[in-house]
Amino acid sequence: MTLLMTVAVTSLRELTRRRAALFFVFFLPLVFFLARIDVPWQALRFLALGVGWAIATLALFSHVGARSLDHGLCVIGASPTALFFGRQLAIITTGLAMASVYFVLVAATQDVPRLPAVALLLITTVLVSAPLGALVSLVVPRELEGALALLSIMALQLLVDPSDAATKLLPLWSTRELSAYAIEPVGADSLYRGMTHFVIALTASVLIAWAASVLRLRPVRLEAPAAT
Amino acid sequence: MTSPHEWGARLTEHLTDAGIDAREAHRLAADSLAEAEDAGQDPAALYGPAVTYASTIAHTIRAATVGFAPLGRVRGPVVLRLSQVTKRYRRRTVLRGVDLTLCGGEVAAVVGANGSGKSTLLNICAGVTRATGGTVERSPRVGYAPQQHGVAPLLTAAEHFHLFGAVHGMSGRESEAIGAQLSQQLGWRPRPHVIAAHLSGGTQQKLNVVLSELSRPDLILLDEPYQGFDQDSYIDFWDQVYKWRDAGAGVLVVTHLLHDLERVDHLVELPRVDES
Repeated sequence: MTLLMTVAVTSLRELTRRRAALFFVFFLPLVFFLARIDVPWQALRFLALGVGWAIATLALFSHVGARSLDHGLCVIGASPTALFFGRQLAIITTGLAMASVYFVLVAATQDVPRLPAVALLLITTVLVSAPLGALVSLVVPRELEGALALLSIMALQLLVDPSDAATKLLPLWSTRELSAYAIEPVGADSLYRGMTHFVIALTASVLIAWAASVLRLRPVRLEAPAAT
Repeated sequence: MTSPHEWGARLTEHLTDAGIDAREAHRLAADSLAEAEDAGQDPAALYGPAVTYASTIAHTIRAATVGFAPLGRVRGPVVLRLSQVTKRYRRRTVLRGVDLTLCGGEVAAVVGANGSGKSTLLNICAGVTRATGGTVERSPRVGYAPQQHGVAPLLTAAEHFHLFGAVHGMSGRESEAIGAQLSQQLGWRPRPHVIAAHLSGGTQQKLNVVLSELSRPDLILLDEPYQGFDQDSYIDFWDQVYKWRDAGAGVLVVTHLLHDLERVDHLVELPRVDES
């Protein structure tokens, strides 16, 4: 637990020192939100996707950038699990701080019938996006290629017709249902579908990213020398 | 022209940077200024640039410290055993039949031309790379300084100490104290709030070396760790290697420099292995 918290704290410090990157991470969702501000449900959904994209990108760069150091830490005995979840904790903390800012923005500028659902929408987006970025970083272990892979996923998420059944395979499909629940006069079905999809997407992203991380970082098992 | 006062201030600063206690640094600078004044000369003319003179003094003090407190050399149990280790990347053989038995209290140097597989061998010993053939036995308590990317550019030295110390359950204060002490032995005093990216290449490597030794491991693996070191730091580095050896650790150093190898216990010379 000590290692996990130390990794989280040091990762958070690293993130806060990348001020230009943090500025753009905070700026991206705002651009998405303002681009659709005349259509409230779209503004909210685009804001959530902007938050998701920003956090996933942050996670991607954080995990790729830390890989060499993490290899060294694992050689001397660090648990890959503690490293993975420590870095995720730092990214989620950053994401939740960003979500809080945007929740206040939405509350101040939009007439949303179910305001708590906006908080739920932003929190669930952050929670899925952090392991999603890590997962992409582990499957595509270079920054540029990983960023392009993430761009493809998010562009697809933004551009496809969300009513198509196949779009449920996309990791942030839940944003559609949760944003509809927050704004439109729909029943609890939307909330249920959104939360179900969120739980499945979160579980799958965390488990696959964690397993891939352990496989990548785990050093070769070497026997202790036999006494002769 | 540097005034004597300014020269003295620079000397104090460089001495503290080189790990000398601040009060001792002040005293040494005051003594130097007094001697120059007695001799009727400008200190810069008498001793040369403050940075060079500070480096000489610091090295002399550290060498004297080693002399006063020699550690008895103890050969311990085997910490690394390589038997017929081979590594192939597809059809290209990088290492062929490498053997080594390294005990605690011994130093081994791995030498060879560029492309002879020195770093690959170290990575195999670290467990980062899997050998294609042969066996590798290694103590689990290991320190590791890779040639590149051993430090995080956006973290300070103290944060590195916390992170690497936490792997072994050390408190932040404990790891910072050990890190500062080891840094001092390499002629460097970490400054608070300075991130690794703002350190020189040589100082980043010193941090890398300090991190490898932070947990007092049984085996220390170092991949050309002196890159960017100045001459005094290079000498300090080898002094440090022999201090670790005398304290009972096994040390494996990858190097392409052939001097200073007469004192090592094992020399593993890797030939360039052509495509087979």
